[in-house]
Parts: sequence; structure tokens; C-alpha cells
Amino acid sequence: MLDVVVAVVTTALTNGALYALATIGLSLVWGSMGMLNMAHGGLLALGGYAAYTGSVQLGLPLPLAIVFAMLAGAAMGALLHLLVVRQLLRSSGAGFETAVMIATVGISIALQNALLLLYGGQPLGQPFDVPGSIPVGAGAVPWLNVTIVLVSVGVMAAASLLIARTKMGRAIRATAQNRDAALLMGVPVQRVYLQVLALSGALAGICGVLVSSITQLTPTLGADPMLKAFIMCVVAGLGNLPGAIAAAFGLALVEAAMQFAAGARWGFPTLLLLVIAILIWRPAGLFGRARIQRL
Amino acid sequence: MSDATLSAEAPAAAAAGLPAADRSWTRDLAIGLVVLAIAAALPFLIDSRYVMGQIILALVWASVAVQWNLIFGYAGIFSLAQMAIFAIGGYGCAMLSHYFGWSVWVSIPAGAGGAMLASMVMGLACLRLSGVYVALLTYAIAQVIYLLIVTDTECFYYEGASCRQLTGGATGFARFGSFGTREWLRGDWIMGNYGIVLAGFVLTLLMSWFIIRSPMGLAFKALRDNPAYAVARGVNRFHTQLLVFALSAFFTGLTGGLYAVHFQAIGPDVFSMTNLLFVLAIVVVGGVGTFWGPVAGAVLLMLADEAMRETGEFRTLGLGLIIAAATVLLPKGLAGLAGDLAKRLSSKG
Repeated sequence: MLDVVVAVVTTALTNGALYALATIGLSLVWGSMGMLNMAHGGLLALGGYAAYTGSVQLGLPLPLAIVFAMLAGAAMGALLHLLVVRQLLRSSGAGFETAVMIATVGISIALQNALLLLYGGQPLGQPFDVPGSIPVGAGAVPWLNVTIVLVSVGVMAAASLLIARTKMGRAIRATAQNRDAALLMGVPVQRVYLQVLALSGALAGICGVLVSSITQLTPTLGADPMLKAFIMCVVAGLGNLPGAIAAAFGLALVEAAMQFAAGARWGFPTLLLLVIAILIWRPAGLFGRARIQRL
Repeated sequence: MSDATLSAEAPAAAAAGLPAADRSWTRDLAIGLVVLAIAAALPFLIDSRYVMGQIILALVWASVAVQWNLIFGYAGIFSLAQMAIFAIGGYGCAMLSHYFGWSVWVSIPAGAGGAMLASMVMGLACLRLSGVYVALLTYAIAQVIYLLIVTDTECFYYEGASCRQLTGGATGFARFGSFGTREWLRGDWIMGNYGIVLAGFVLTLLMSWFIIRSPMGLAFKALRDNPAYAVARGVNRFHTQLLVFALSAFFTGLTGGLYAVHFQAIGPDVFSMTNLLFVLAIVVVGGVGTFWGPVAGAVLLMLADEAMRETGEFRTLGLGLIIAAATVLLPKGLAGLAGDLAKRLSSKG
């Protein structure tokens, strides 16, 4: 019995940390730009493959390979802003929300397919690995899972410090609160958007490395964490960072418990039913305050 | 609402409205006749069975795109479950014919009814929410249905020694019935199938035209132009959206049934992201919220798809880039481009 509990809690904590990391990348972009980045899963996959390239093909040491993955994600995020988002902000006005969603769906598919063409469809092993495990009672917790949780928490702490304490973070928060006022106060809003997308890309890059270390490297590896991250975002209320992290751990626990109790295929459907129920009960999300919308 | 009352109201609304609305009514009729004439002439001009097959596929895509344009372009619901609704129609038809031996002529509308019901349940859960939330939930629901079908390994019955699942599992269903065109037209059976799918397409197009011209269409226009005023005048957003969600799902499911019977097979691959993306691309390239946009988009993207088939593996990559480029460069799509060109020409002349 105890070993099952250890296994469920280990899975829940690991997945929760990964979902949370994927979620804050999404939530950051949504909160500050009102943009749902459907290419986030593609960025995750890009990060995973970039670490593989850095470590296996270029022979970099692992920490540098992870930095390489973050740089690749950040560069792609910046590129996304320069080529797509900036143009759409200028041209589509009120239709920005849906236009950017459609455009990023296209980018995501193109990115995944480019990875498929470059690396082939065979799943590759992620070189990032920590061998061994800690015995806990009757079960065992692999060191890899512990590392994933620690790295995720560390990255999230760094990101929140960046947003709370730096000048760049203050500009991001100002833009998120009121774009026009920030613009009038001399905040370079376009540069803030560029920074937000690059930051979110870097977060996606490291998240992709961690996700592929417990699964495998495939071009679609980001799709599942992204879908779950979306759900966490929605449950918590879009743009609410602490809420999203809490939702990520909570829902990961429900999912892991359900997978052990009823079989792996029922984990996600249960999660979804729960989410729909929550949304019918509280349409603005668990921690979201109902906004009074100006029509 | 029956078609008769809708068609009686549509010209009346157009006549009472602006002269521009009147012009677009005759314009739609003119374009429709030209499209129909081309469609009727095609079987006499084309000998190749492969080309006819591709044209049938284009009609299927155009029908699905017209329906998606109705719910996204006009009703403003960004639903990502369109291919799931299509698949439910196809699966419904295949399963009814497979398990109960129903004629496909009965099981296609029955499957469409099933798709409509599924869509209404989905709508009840999603439509009270706004934009992005709807997109996420519909996408997640479609993904769950797909995962449940693909991971279905429980044997429902045995076919010889092989195990078959209730939902067809990862392989799906095949040879559950046909239109009967092979017995009837022998070598020219594909012409028969073409006619049937074309009829479905025309039906779909007419239905969407009547909805756009009906009071419901006016309600959507009102909700889009000034939501506060529309709601104050008694337009119920939730009810109108739910109704159009259900109606469009019926015809999407019907198209799914026609697709399944034409190819005599349906499998979980219809749920794939690439298919959904293709529909999205058709509408975005053609012009969101324009009546003829999806039709033009379907023709153009089928041609682009044929051209990219030569390059094989770059197909999906190209499709993704086309979508991103079209949203950035052609915000109003082909139809918007044509409209701008016409305006420029008439202002010069």
C-alpha cells in the first residue's frame, strides 16, 4: 500500500512541477499580452531537441546544453514576436486574440514538422539523466524525479524574482496592468512584449528538456504538457501565476491517483470532467475574480 | 425553423435593409450559379478517377470549412472540435451500419443526429465561457475522444481469431456499406459518388446561407457590432450560439457520414491535428466570416496540397507556414482581397 502511495505522490509531484513550469510560460504571455500561445508545445519540443543537439552532437557539458536549450527557446520566442505577433498587433486590432491563436497553431505545426524532418521520427533518448534512487519505505523515489522538481522550483523562483524585482519585470507588470497607461509613462511596450515572449520561450526550453528526460524526445512531446498546462491555466484563471502553480500540483495529483486506480487511459478524461465542472461552477476559474467586462 | 419560413424572410430582410444587402443577395445567387455550373460540368471534362476522387475530397473539406466558418466567422465561437464532430458523424454512420446492418441512407442522417447531440452537450459545457476558454475546452474534449478510441483495447467481439473493439480501436471500421453506385453505374461509380457528395455540399451551403440571412444571422451581426445593445434588445447570446452550434454540427456530421461511406472506411486519423489545421487553413486563407471564402479557400488549398504532395514530407510544414503567413499577410483572406480589388476597380471606373 505504502509503495503505491509513494509512487502516486512521486508521479504527482514530478508531473505537477512540469505542468507548473509549462503553465507559467503560457500564463506569463497571456497575462501580459492577452495572447494564447498555441506554439508553446512546439517550443517545448524545440528545447528538448536543442539540448540533445548541444550535448550529443556538439559535445557540450550538460549544464551548457541546458543553457543552449533555453537560448534556442528564447530565440524562437523572439522570432515569433518579430515575424508574427508584432505584425498582428498592428493589423488585426480587436481580432488579435483569435488571429494570434490561429497563427501560432500554424507556427506550432510547422515547428514540429521541421523537427521531424531534421531529427527523424524515431524517438531519441534525452541525455539529461540522473541515475539512482532514494529508498522511501517500501518504495523508491528516483533521483531524476527529485532533480526535476528541484530544477522546476528553482526556475520558477528565478522567474518570479525576475518579474518582482527587476526593472524589466516592473515594465512587464505595468504593461500587463494597463497597456495604454504604460505606453504613456514611457514603457517601450513592443520591447516588453519581445522580452516576455523570449522569457516564455526560455522557460519552455528548459521545461522541454525536463519533460523529455522522463519520457522520450519526439517532435510532439510538447503537445501533452501544453494541453494540460492550458487546462491548469483555465482552472486557475488565465494570467494568475500562483493559482496556476497550485492548480498544476493539485490536478497532477488527481490525474496520478486516477491513473493508478482505473488505468492510464482514464487519467486525462477524469481531469477534463473535473475541469468542466469547475468552469461551470466558477467560469472565471478557481482563483480568478470575475471581471466586469466593458462592452 | 423550417427552410420555407427562413427563405421567405431572407429576401424580405434584404429588401427592407440597405441596398448593399440587396446587391450581395443577387451576387451570391450569381456566384452560386457559376459554381454549380462548373461543378455540373466537371464530370464531363475529367476522365481521371484520381482527379475526381480529389475533387470529392475538396467538396468534403469545403463543406466542413463552410460549417466551421458559420460557427467561427459568424457566431464567433472558436471551436477546435470541428473534426471531432465530423468524426462522430462518420463513426456514428459506420457503427450503425456495421452493428445493426442499417442501410447507409438511414445511418448517415442518424450519425449526423448523433453529432448534433454530442455538439449540444459540448455547447452546454463550453458556450457560457468566452473566446479562449471555448477553444481550449473544445480542443481538450476532441483530444479525449481521440485518446479513448485509440487506447481502446477491450475485445467487444471476435472476427475470426482477431479481436475487434467496440469503437474500432486504432484501426477503425471498413466496408460497412456503400452508396450502391458500383452496382448501379459500374465503371462510372465515382460519378455517382461525386453527385451524392456534391448534393451534400449544396445542402450545406444552402443551410449556411439561410442561417446567415435569417433573424439568427442578424442576431449574430448585432452581437458582433454592439453586444451591449444587442443583449438589451433581447438577443440571447447563449441560445443563439447553442442553436447554430447544433445546426452546424448536424451538417458537419452529415459530411462525415458521406466521407466515411465514400471511402468505405473511417479511423481515428480523422481526428488528427493536420486535418483540423487543414480546415482552419481553408477558412483563414479564404476569408473568415465571408460566405464564399471557405469555398475559394478549399479549392486553393487542395491545389496547394496537390503541389506539395510532390515534395512529400514538407506537406505539413508548408501547411503550417501557409496558415501563419495568411493570418499575417491576408487578414481578410482571399474573399477580402477580392472585395478590395472590386472596390478599387469600381472607384476608378
